[in-house]
This record gives sequence, C-alpha cells and structure tokens, in this order.
Amino acid sequence: MPLSALSNSVLPLRPFRLIGGAGIALTIAALVILVLWSIAAAASNEPASARTSIDVPHLLAMTSIQAGLTTVLSLLVGTALAWALNRLRFPGRDLVVGLFASAIVTPGVVVAFGLLAVWGRSGWVNDTWQGLFGAPLNIPIFGLGGILAAHLILDGAFAARILLTRLDAVPTARLKTGQSLALSPWRRFAVIDWPAIRGTLPGLAAIIFLLAFTSFPVVLLLGGGPANQTLEVAIYTAVRLDFDLYGAVLLAMVQIGVCATIVLAAAAFAPVPPSLGPSRGQRWSDTGGARTAQWLVLVLSILGFALPLAAILVDGFGSGLGALLQRPVFWRSAGTSLVIATLSAALTLLLALGLGLGRAATRNLALRTGIAAPSYAYLAVPAVVLALGFFLLVRSLGIDPEFAAPAVIILANALLALPFAVATLSPPLDAIALSRGRLIRSLGLTGARQFTHIEWPLIGRDAGVVVALAFCFSLGDLGVIALFGTQDFATLPLLMVRALGAYRTNDAASIAAIMLCLTIAAFVTIPRLFGSSADARA
Amino acid sequence: MLVLEGLRYAHQGQPDGYSFSMTAAPGEVTAISGPSGSGKSTLLDLIAGFLTPIDGRLALDDVDLLPLPPEARPTSILFQSESLFEHLSAMHNVALGLPRGTPRPEAERKIHAALAEVGLPDIGRQRADTLSGGQKQRVALARTLLRNRPVLLLDEPFSALDDETRSTTRALVRSLTAAHGWITVLVSHHKDDIAALAARRYEIVDGKLSLP
Repeated sequence: MPLSALSNSVLPLRPFRLIGGAGIALTIAALVILVLWSIAAAASNEPASARTSIDVPHLLAMTSIQAGLTTVLSLLVGTALAWALNRLRFPGRDLVVGLFASAIVTPGVVVAFGLLAVWGRSGWVNDTWQGLFGAPLNIPIFGLGGILAAHLILDGAFAARILLTRLDAVPTARLKTGQSLALSPWRRFAVIDWPAIRGTLPGLAAIIFLLAFTSFPVVLLLGGGPANQTLEVAIYTAVRLDFDLYGAVLLAMVQIGVCATIVLAAAAFAPVPPSLGPSRGQRWSDTGGARTAQWLVLVLSILGFALPLAAILVDGFGSGLGALLQRPVFWRSAGTSLVIATLSAALTLLLALGLGLGRAATRNLALRTGIAAPSYAYLAVPAVVLALGFFLLVRSLGIDPEFAAPAVIILANALLALPFAVATLSPPLDAIALSRGRLIRSLGLTGARQFTHIEWPLIGRDAGVVVALAFCFSLGDLGVIALFGTQDFATLPLLMVRALGAYRTNDAASIAAIMLCLTIAAFVTIPRLFGSSADARA
Repeated sequence: MLVLEGLRYAHQGQPDGYSFSMTAAPGEVTAISGPSGSGKSTLLDLIAGFLTPIDGRLALDDVDLLPLPPEARPTSILFQSESLFEHLSAMHNVALGLPRGTPRPEAERKIHAALAEVGLPDIGRQRADTLSGGQKQRVALARTLLRNRPVLLLDEPFSALDDETRSTTRALVRSLTAAHGWITVLVSHHKDDIAALAARRYEIVDGKLSLP
C-alpha cells in the first residue's frame, strides 16, 4: 500500500519535517530555475559570435549514436553477466559482485585512463604484441570504439548489478516449479528470468542512455577529436577553449531539452532502485553448454572490467609515484578533492534526509510529489551545463567565479548526487512511516526520538550508501571543476587531465591509481561506518 | 468506564458504514467478535484515534476523547504483529514507554520491574527480532505497563501464537488487567480467546455492535 493511500491520523504529526522538506524542495527548485534563467538570459544577451561554427545537428547525432549504442550493448552485456552471476556459485563470488557494483562510483576519467593503460599505444597489449611480433598493433582506442568500451565497462557492470537483483528476487516457489518441470536452461531463461527482468529494462535503458548522453570525462579523454565530440564536451570547448559563450548556451539548451525529454520518458517506466547489497544467488544451477557459456561470460567480463583497473594500480604505483608525491600541487589538489567531496557528501545527506523525512511525514500525494520532484530535475541538467549555469549566474551577480568556485563546486556536486540520494533514502523512510506510523503515534514519540531510536538505526546503512555515492561522485567529478578550476584551484581529476595534456603520463597514472583506491575505500568503508553507528544506536 | 455512543464511521465507498455503541469497565476484558472485514480493527482505530468518526461520542469517565490526537489518548495498543521495533533490544523497546528524560537509574529499575512482571526478567538485552512470538507480546505488555494508560486495546494479539503460548499470554493479560484496573478491549475472531478472557462480550453484526 502506498503511503498516500493511508487513512488520516496514522502518521505522526511532524510539521517541522514538512516545513523543512518543503523549504529544501523550494530552494533547490529555485536554483534550477535560476540556472536555466541564467542560461536563457545569456543566450538572449550574447551576440552570435563570428567564430560560432558549432554544428548542432552533427553533435546531436554523434551524442545520440554513442549513447544509443552504449545502451544496447550495456543491456546485452549486463543481461548476460547478471544471468551468469545468478547461476554460478564459486569462492569469491561476493567480491566479484562487489567489483561490478563499484562501477556506479568508479570515475569515468579513471576508467578511460585504465583503457589507455591496457589498449593504448604504450599499453600492456601493444607492448606485449610488439615484444612478440616486433610490430605495433594499432588498436583504435581513440574515437567511438574507445568511448563505447569505457561506457560498456561502467554501464554494463551497472546494468548487470541491477538485473542481478531482479533475478535474485525470483520467488523460490517459481524456481521449484521450474526445476520440477525440468526446464532447459534456455527455456528457464524465457519462462522465469525474462519476465523477472523485462519490466526493469526500459527504465534501466533510459538511465544508461542519460548517463552516456551526458558523459564528459570519457569523451574528453577518448574522443580523439571533433569528429566524435558530444554536446557536453562541445560546451566545455566553447567556454574554456573558444570563449564562445553564445555557442555554449545554445548547446546547453539543446542538451537540457533532450535530457528533460529522456527524464520525462523514464518517469513512465518502472523505477530502478539502486542495488548495492550482497547477492544471494540461486541453488538451481544450469548444466552443459549453458554453464560453459556462463563461465565464459563471467571470465570475459571480469577481464574486461578488472584489467583496466589492475593496469591503473600497477602503472600508478610504479616508478612515477615518488615524483608525484613530492609535488606540492598534488597535495593541494588531493586536499581540495577530499574537502570538497566530504562537504558535498555531507550536504547531499542533509538535503536528502530533509526531503525524505518531509515526504514521509505526509500522505498528501501532491505534497509528496512536490517535495521530491525538484531533486529529480538535476537528472536533466548535466554537470557541465549546471556548471555553466552557475558560472553565468555568478558572473551576472558580479562575483568573481574564482572566488565562488569552492562553494559552487560543493553545491553543484551535491545537487548532482541528490536524485540518487533521494531515491535511496525515501523508500525506507516511507516504509517505516507505513509499517510503524501507528505504533510511533500511539507511543507519543517526539520527532527527535523517532529519528534517533527508530529511523536512524534502520536507515543508517542507506545513509552510508548515500554519503559514499555522493563522496565518490564528487571525487571523480570533472564536469564542474573543468569550468571553475584554475591553476591554483584544482582537484585530482583536473590535475590528472592536465598531466595527460602535458604528456606526464606517469603522473596521470599515479593520480588515477590514488583516485581509484580512494573511491573503492570510500565505497566499502563509509556504508559500514554508518551501519555500525546506526547499530550502536539500536 | 469507557463509553461509545453511536460512534459512526464509513470507509470510502462503503454505503452503510459502522455505528458503534458499547461500554467497557475497568479491571475486566471486553471482547469484540465478528468475522473478517466486519469492522473490528476499525473500532479499535476509532478508540485509538487513528480514524476520526463522522459523529457520536467516545468518553472515558465522562471525559470526551474525540478531540485528542492518538498520542494524547489514554490508550495503549497491541497488534497481532509489529508491536515491537525489531531492530531494538527488548529493554530499549520497553524504554519507549517511559516519559522522555526519565533518569537512567530510575528507567533501568522500572524496565527490569516491568519485564519481571510479564515473566521475562532476563531477556532485556536480546534484540526483538530474536524473540519468539509470545515473548514479543509480553515485551509489548511490559511497555504498556510503563506507559501507564488506563485503556489497553488488543488487536488479535494471540493469533500468531501456538496453543501453549496463547494460553499463558491470555492468563497474563487477564491478571495485568485485573491488577492494574485496565479497561481492556480485545478484538478477536477466536472463540476460545473470548471465552477465556471476556467479562463482557459484543459481536459486530451488519456494522453494529450487539450483545450475543
């Protein structure tokens, strides 16, 4: 039963939660409007520059083609991998499932660098090939192929983790019926698995298309030139390299239009909840050719996903690390990255908690929608566009962008993580209100007591997931810092891209390795820290 | 005395609705029976304040209860399940029945005494999700003791229990009701529960309470 269908008086009266949630929703809605207004105002004020030679139809076509191909391939790979993981039981399975789950937080810039480390001109494969046969193997890592490979690693693994949850949730009774009917592996997929996952596919496809459509660091690093440029990279190029604000604003409006259409379309599909917990798998294993196929899919997927990450660690912690650690700019950037990611994650949690608690405090459908909806608007405003909007807004207010940069980056990163945070925290808060609202009310618990004794112990781990996601998103962000960064103000991803641009590959490798370790450490430890803090309250 | 006079309520789309009139006395169990969907839980929700009646009167010792929100009503309620917060220890669950700010030594003394009164002196530190069905209901009764509200509402509280546990939990409800002078209102469709506990009985027929 949805919360909106509850009878009156069942939910505890929490006016401050409602006011807080509504206040946050109004503030973030106002920010979206301000950003869009800044972009629209700039479009009408800036004269069409003589240098504007942006080919919007070409960019739109390129972006759509790569996002479309990414979506189709990711769903195919994700389905095959989820199918294999669901059937196979082996030592270390939890670790492998965790590895694929970490795709959601692995920075695109790190994966792109990992691909270069394996498949690039000086990568492992080419070096080995040249050592064996004396001639280089020309693998087209720059261009559409490289972009698709990087997206496939990130989005294919993400899809697999989501679909695995659906397969794990198949009721035991249905499996027993299938087993007693001696269904063949293929018939089992058609009769039991496909109905379990097909409802998730449209929503998942929309999310992957959106992620690929707005992908910035992967295309920046692996695009290989204007032929494969996407809208997001073109906006960055227009602002930072060509100083063509008119062109940037034009592209931003096209980008927002397309993203908003996808978000609205996605809203019609079944929601795709984040899936980061353990997978229980199934006891009914397939045999014969299907089992061989499952092992093949699993081994290839692990190689495809883990090899670039392993290459980053091996190359990054090699000889170049010592030199990097002696550079003051590295320590400055690392400190900046950690401070920004920590503050941004804390802000995300506060905003998401405020929205989630406010939403769960009412059964009024319009109010519940009104409180949650503004946070989802940030799905339609990609990082570079949001940064551009803030850049224009700050400039129009007469504030030096350099001065505003830290606050803007923290705020922008928090807003970009907010849709995931609200989607993670709202369902458990709603469930508590739904199942325990009457008991809480009949006991006359205060709001503070309800939060500390009932809600926080139950959502602590989810809050940890939110903080970990927001921390990792912010740590890997390149879209916002790319517009606001300066020589003196940089984060690790920006420092890495600069190192690559200056052909200091060893530095870039070491930064990528450090970012990867920080990301995985945060992803693994933060939810546990929050979980144990919540357990301590129980 | 708890008095309901022409307390009327209708769910959305329900043409006739309910009309409840009854009295319940302190120190005894008043049982309400009726088939599934007859309105037994609706009656408890009206007394507890989770539902607002269309009209009628609800009073405890001539004090009108209808203006009071659920948390201010002189009632405690026990459900068939989910009467406890599973993630908290038994002690912690019982502690939620104490007023906020109760000094720790006093709270611990009261919690131990309440758990001892329901026959569970040693399970305070166990998490609620590790307790049996009967133990959970006893812990909820211990919390009710600390809440110290004169009206106890029981919504099919024995349905999930096995025969032996059911019998001992019923005996506990009867003795606590008598000892503390509670006005206990039990809704159940189990005839043996009603036979074992009820001093006064009502049956819901066609949305109205009647004496059987």
